[in-house]
Amino acid sequence: MSATVSMRDALYEAPGPKTRRRVAIGTAISLVALAALVAFVIRQFYINDQLNPRYWSFFARWTTWRFLLTGLMGTVRVALMAGVLAIFLGLLLMLGRISSNKVLSTVCHVITDLFRSLPSLLLIYFFFLVIPRYGLKMPSFWMITVPVALAASGVLAEVFRAGVNAVPKGQTEAAMSLGMTHGKITRKIVLPQALRIVIPSLVSQLVVVVKDTTVAYVVSYPDLMQNARVLISNYDALVSMYFVVALIYIAINYATNRFSIYLAHRSGSKIISRTEENPV
Amino acid sequence: MTAEYAGPIIEMRHVDKHFGQLHVLKDINLTVEKGEVVVLIGPSGSGKSTLCRTINRLETIDSGEILFQGVKLPEEGKELAALRAEIGMVFQSFNLFAHKTILENVTMGPIEVLRKSKKEAEAEAMELLRRVGVAEQAAKVPAQLSGGQQQRVAIARSLAMHPKAMLFDEPTSALDPEMVGEVLDVMVELAKQGMTMVVVTHEMNFARRVANRVVFMADGQIVEQNTPDEFFDHPQSDRARDFLNSIKGH
Amino acid sequence: MGVAEVFTEFGDIYLQSVLSTWLMTAVCFAGGLTLGIIITVLRVSPIKPLRTVGDVYVQLFRNIPTVSLLVIFVYALPYLGATLPYRTCLLACVILIVSAFASENFMSGINAIGVGQIEAARSVGLSFTQIIRLVVIPQSLRTTVLPMTNLLIATLLTTAMGSQVPLTPPELTGMVNYVNSRSVAGISAFVVSAICYAGTSVVLGFLGNRLDKKVRILR
Repeated sequence: MSATVSMRDALYEAPGPKTRRRVAIGTAISLVALAALVAFVIRQFYINDQLNPRYWSFFARWTTWRFLLTGLMGTVRVALMAGVLAIFLGLLLMLGRISSNKVLSTVCHVITDLFRSLPSLLLIYFFFLVIPRYGLKMPSFWMITVPVALAASGVLAEVFRAGVNAVPKGQTEAAMSLGMTHGKITRKIVLPQALRIVIPSLVSQLVVVVKDTTVAYVVSYPDLMQNARVLISNYDALVSMYFVVALIYIAINYATNRFSIYLAHRSGSKIISRTEENPV
Repeated sequence: MTAEYAGPIIEMRHVDKHFGQLHVLKDINLTVEKGEVVVLIGPSGSGKSTLCRTINRLETIDSGEILFQGVKLPEEGKELAALRAEIGMVFQSFNLFAHKTILENVTMGPIEVLRKSKKEAEAEAMELLRRVGVAEQAAKVPAQLSGGQQQRVAIARSLAMHPKAMLFDEPTSALDPEMVGEVLDVMVELAKQGMTMVVVTHEMNFARRVANRVVFMADGQIVEQNTPDEFFDHPQSDRARDFLNSIKGH
Repeated sequence: MGVAEVFTEFGDIYLQSVLSTWLMTAVCFAGGLTLGIIITVLRVSPIKPLRTVGDVYVQLFRNIPTVSLLVIFVYALPYLGATLPYRTCLLACVILIVSAFASENFMSGINAIGVGQIEAARSVGLSFTQIIRLVVIPQSLRTTVLPMTNLLIATLLTTAMGSQVPLTPPELTGMVNYVNSRSVAGISAFVVSAICYAGTSVVLGFLGNRLDKKVRILR
C-alpha cells in the first residue's frame, strides 16, 4: 500500500498557489457530491421503509449472532479444509510438473491448467449433480470442500512453482557441490525455502477460497450465507441481512489480505496471486 | 529576456530547504554565469544533489529565491514547464523513457514541447546521437544499451531542447568504471563548446580539468568555492581538507 | 448418453450458451475496464476524498464474494426501489468486481513506472497532461497486459455465477444443471462445458501472452 501512495503522489509536483486553490475547490465539490450520494442511499432505504427498526433490531439479539457465527464456523471449516487439501494437491501437482519424468510433468501441467481454467461452481455442480447419478453420495461438507480445493490447487501449484523459481540458483549449486542427490536437494534445500517464500501468497489465496465457499447453499451446507438465508425467512428481513452478511465477508477477506501483506512485508517476499501468473 | 540577457544565468539567493527535520540547504547563495562550468562536490548527504535539483524545481525550496536568466522560477503550470524546457537535466540513473526507442527518447521533447515536425526532430536527433556516438542504436530501446550509452543518449535528449544551461546530477555514479570515460568525454566536449553547466560529481579529475569553479558543500552549506587549482591545492576550510584527504586513497 | 448425443439433443442451446457466455465475458470485461479506469483516475487524483472513495471502492468489491453481491442485486434492490432483470444484475455484479481488480492492475502498472521517468519527463518540459498521456498511460498499459489477460480469464469464470439466476439461454455452468435435469447426460454436459471454459482460457491466454511479448517494456 505504501508503494501505491508514493507513486501516485509522485505524479504531482509540489502544488503552487493556483493548484492549491483548484485542489481545495475540487475537495469541496467532491465532499458535497459524496454527501449527496450518501443522502440518496439513506433516502432510498428510508422511503422504502428499510430503516424500520424491525429489520434491524434482531441484530441486537445474541441468538442472531450465535446462529450467524455457527454458519461462519461452517465457512471456516470448509475454507480451512479446502485450503489444506489444495496445498497438498497443489504441491503434488507442482512437484509432478517440475519432475524430470516427461509424461508425469505433462500430465501435471495439464491438470494444473485445467483446474485453473474452470469455475469452482462448475466443479461443485460436478460433485453435486453428476457424481450422485452414479450412486456416489458424498456428505454436503465434502461436496463443497473438494471442488473448492480442486479449483484452488491449480492456482496454488503455480504459486508453489513461482516459489521454487524464486529460490536462488546458487542454493541448488551449493547443494550439488556437496554431493546431494536431486531428490534430496528438492526436499531439504529448495522446498523449505520455497515454502517460506510462498506463505504470504497462501494466506492471500485463502480469500479466493472463502469466496468460493459462499455457494455452499447449492449443496445445502450450513455456512454463513446459508444460515443468513435461514434468518431471512425467520425475520423477513432480507435487505438488512444481505448487507450485513456482505460486510462480514468483506471484513474477513480484507483482514486476510492485510495479514498476507503484513507477512509478505515482514519476510520481504512478494505476494504471488493469480494476476501475476502466466495465463493458462 | 532572451538573446541579449547578459546577467548571470542562474542565481540563488538565501535558499533554504528542509526535508522534515533535516535542514538540507542552508542559506545557499550561488551565481552561475553564462558559459561557466560549476562543479559541486562534497560528502554524500551534503545537499549538492538537492541544490542541483532545485534549479529546475524538481525540488521546491522553503525560502529564498532562485532566478533563471534574471527571472524568478515559476511555481507551477505551463510557465514552469517552459522554464524546464530551457534547462537540460541529466540524472544519475539516466531515466530514459523505457517504452520509447532511443530515437523517440530524443525527439519527444522537440516534437511535443517545441512543436517541431517529426521529420525535422528526427534529423536533428540523429545528428545529436551521432555526436554522442550512439547513432547505430537509434532503433533500440533503452534497456538494450549499456549504462554509458544510455547516459550519452540522455545527454542527447537534453541537447535536443537547445538548453540554455545543463544540470548533471552525478551523471557517472551509476556507471561501471570502464564506461565513465565515454560519458565524461561528451561532457568535456560540451564544456568546450561553451555550454553552461552545473555538475554534481565525484570525478575530481573532471572537476580539475573542466570546471571554471568548484563549489564545496557540507551539511547543506556552501563551505567554499574557488577555481579548481586553488581548491584542490590549497583548500581553505578544515571540512574541505578532510574531504579531499578522504577521497585521495581512491 | 455420450458427448455426441449431448450435441444432437442440446446442440442448439449449447451453442447459444457458449456465445452468451462469451458475450457476457466481453461485456463484463469492457465494462469492468472502463469503470476500472474511472476508479483509477479517482485513486490517483490529487483530491483526497476522491482517493479515499476509490480506495474504499476497490477494497469493497475485491473482497465481496460474487454471490453476496448478486443476492443484493437480485433480492435486496427490489426492496429499495430498483428491480433489474436477472441478466442485468449478473452483468452489473461482475462489472463491479472486475473493475476493482482492473483498478488494482492499473495501479500496479502505475507503480511500476518509477519516479525517475516522471522527473525526466518534467525536466524535458512536458506538461502534466503530456506526462500522463505520453509516459504514464502507455507505460502502465503495457505492463498490465498479462494481469489483464488473467483478469479476462477470471471474468469468464466469474460469469459462471449466472447459473445462480434464471437465464435464457443458461451460461456454460448453468447448462450442466439444465442438461442434467432433462436427461441422464450430466457428465457429458460437464465435459462439454469444461472443454469450452478451458479452450476459451487457453486461447485468451495465448493471445495475451503474444500481445505481452510485443509490447512488454524492458526495464
